[in-house]
Amino acid sequence: MEHPATVGELADTLRQGGYLADRGLATALFVALNLQRPILLEGEVGVGKTEVAKVLAQVFGRRLIRLQCYEGIDTNQALYEWDYARQMLQIRALSEHQAADESAVDKLFGPKFLLERPLLAAVRAGDQAVLLIDEVDRADDEFEAFLLEVLSDFQVSIPEIGTITAPTRPLVVLTSNRTRELHDALKRRCLYHWIGYPSQQREVEIVLVKEPAAAERLARKVVAAVHRLRELDLAKPPGVAETIDWVKTLDFLGADDLDPGLAADTLGAVIKERDDLDLVRDIMEEITSGGG
Amino acid sequence: MAADLGAAERAPYTAVLVGFARALRAAGLPAGTGDAQAFCAAMAPLDPTDMIDVYWAGRATMTSRPADIEVYDRVFRSYFLGAADAAGGKLPAVAPQQGTAVGVLNVPANDVQEGNERPSLQGVMAAGTEVLRHTAFARCTPDELAALRRMMASMRLIPPRRRTRRTVPAGRGHRPDLRRTIRQSMRMCGEPAELYWRRRKLRLRPLILILDVSGSMADYSRCLLQFGYAARRAADRVEVFCFGTRLTRITRALEHQRPDEALDRAAQAVVDWAGGTRIGASLDAFVRTWARQGVCRGGIVVICSDGLDRGDPAVLAAAMERLARLSHRIVWLNPHRGTDRSFTPSTLGMMVAAPHTDLILSGHDLASLEELAEMLPALS
Repeated sequence: MEHPATVGELADTLRQGGYLADRGLATALFVALNLQRPILLEGEVGVGKTEVAKVLAQVFGRRLIRLQCYEGIDTNQALYEWDYARQMLQIRALSEHQAADESAVDKLFGPKFLLERPLLAAVRAGDQAVLLIDEVDRADDEFEAFLLEVLSDFQVSIPEIGTITAPTRPLVVLTSNRTRELHDALKRRCLYHWIGYPSQQREVEIVLVKEPAAAERLARKVVAAVHRLRELDLAKPPGVAETIDWVKTLDFLGADDLDPGLAADTLGAVIKERDDLDLVRDIMEEITSGGG
Repeated sequence: MAADLGAAERAPYTAVLVGFARALRAAGLPAGTGDAQAFCAAMAPLDPTDMIDVYWAGRATMTSRPADIEVYDRVFRSYFLGAADAAGGKLPAVAPQQGTAVGVLNVPANDVQEGNERPSLQGVMAAGTEVLRHTAFARCTPDELAALRRMMASMRLIPPRRRTRRTVPAGRGHRPDLRRTIRQSMRMCGEPAELYWRRRKLRLRPLILILDVSGSMADYSRCLLQFGYAARRAADRVEVFCFGTRLTRITRALEHQRPDEALDRAAQAVVDWAGGTRIGASLDAFVRTWARQGVCRGGIVVICSDGLDRGDPAVLAAAMERLARLSHRIVWLNPHRGTDRSFTPSTLGMMVAAPHTDLILSGHDLASLEELAEMLPALS
């Protein structure tokens, strides 16, 4: 699919993919697509940071390449690795005479034995891909420095093969939960957008897009309750994902309205910390009273 | 659409946009020329007369953390919408403050009398570093403190290590190093003659200092901060927080300022002189905003406070319990413990916190800080 020409068009396209982006996010994504710059999305847990990349890939018919970051991730897992087992077998199959031959060695470090990992895959795919670098704050500093190198040039150097440069740039979406501050150098190469909690009206829309089967009355009441919960001093305030989960749970149980008893039974879908549960259970009546 | 405008027609827009970037920079945002360029480029496919487009394109290109957004909004309002810059002085991130209350911190009220007799003690300093080593920080003269700092600079604070998931080549390891094995076997005509190994790398645990900067604690905290400052060279990650009635993070400030300056500024921000210390509320704030994000996960938390809490002890107890679960070890430095080995916590705050701490030290003089430095690597 062709790139949209205006911000509104992009927002409509995303809506068709089941994602409601507000003006700010749509503008940031539109700029990222046009300038071919990576975009860094930060925000509370469960506000749909990862979902953006998935939907972008889906609506533009691009391949989603996902790199999930974790502590200790290194080039072997992110970029490429040689298939050592196959190399070993190949070497064993060679006769002594063949093994002494230069070309045999070259073959051993040829494309046939190269295992492609997400970053290399994205560089090769170019603009046919959306590269999602998820939870980049979980990776350690060493990896961030390395990522910087890839994101600035979109090229990968493999000593045995040479440099592979992206013909066109993939759309890169980085997400972070802010468990630590990212380096300024990395941020400088990215556009930045903070995704906050949506307004009550918008959240109802989001829930209904995600769970079309649910009753609108139920969605309204659940969203109102979740907004109350966010106002409380909770250790882990519920995100949009939790709202959707809660509606899904209630809908599965056949409910079309939210009452204190039912809410208390299904509270596990939204509140996931013991201290918070204790706090919320006492004021169940008040929380479920809004949104009628 | 503005995309079909010629270069000449765009020029005035560009000047306005660059002017905006300059205004942001003046307000303290790190908006470089590159960012301004990106902003102008971002506006090319957008409509420069639509304020909403300008707002969001600018926000995506010239902010990089949530704290920037507030400053951005203010500058945007005053630059494009002509709003009076009323809130200008309120933003601590940008307003260069003059050190008005600095003097208050240096001499805590209860030490004024002792301070008067100090000059006679200064002569003792010549008697050797040993005396100085056992002088409580609060009783030191500025000169003695300076001497102590020089001694501290030569000490090394080494937090315990932990195994990471990253591996390094090792003579004796647990995982085969296939890459190196293959490479070496090429030299042997493909015979994998020797197996190479990797082992998991060790890394220093993060160190988190939470310092009480109110009243009589300020002098002790100041020295500990100096200590932490020295530790930054050794440790991978050192985070520093200050609290009085509220909590503030000064890690970033320490990158640009001398420790004293940073502490004075922090004290101005967090200490309400009449309000007393609210340890419980401050630690609770730390747990909620920082610890939950993983700042102290697997780390050593060092709290320096006398435990005199004016708040609800239940809040402190809950915060400490959480903190104990979110961090690796908690060390509490209570200068009022002194050199008394059989110290039992007497203040309510200390009694509540003690069950959740792994180690209680005094930290009131250099010798006790040396003790901390000695015990720290063994806290793994």
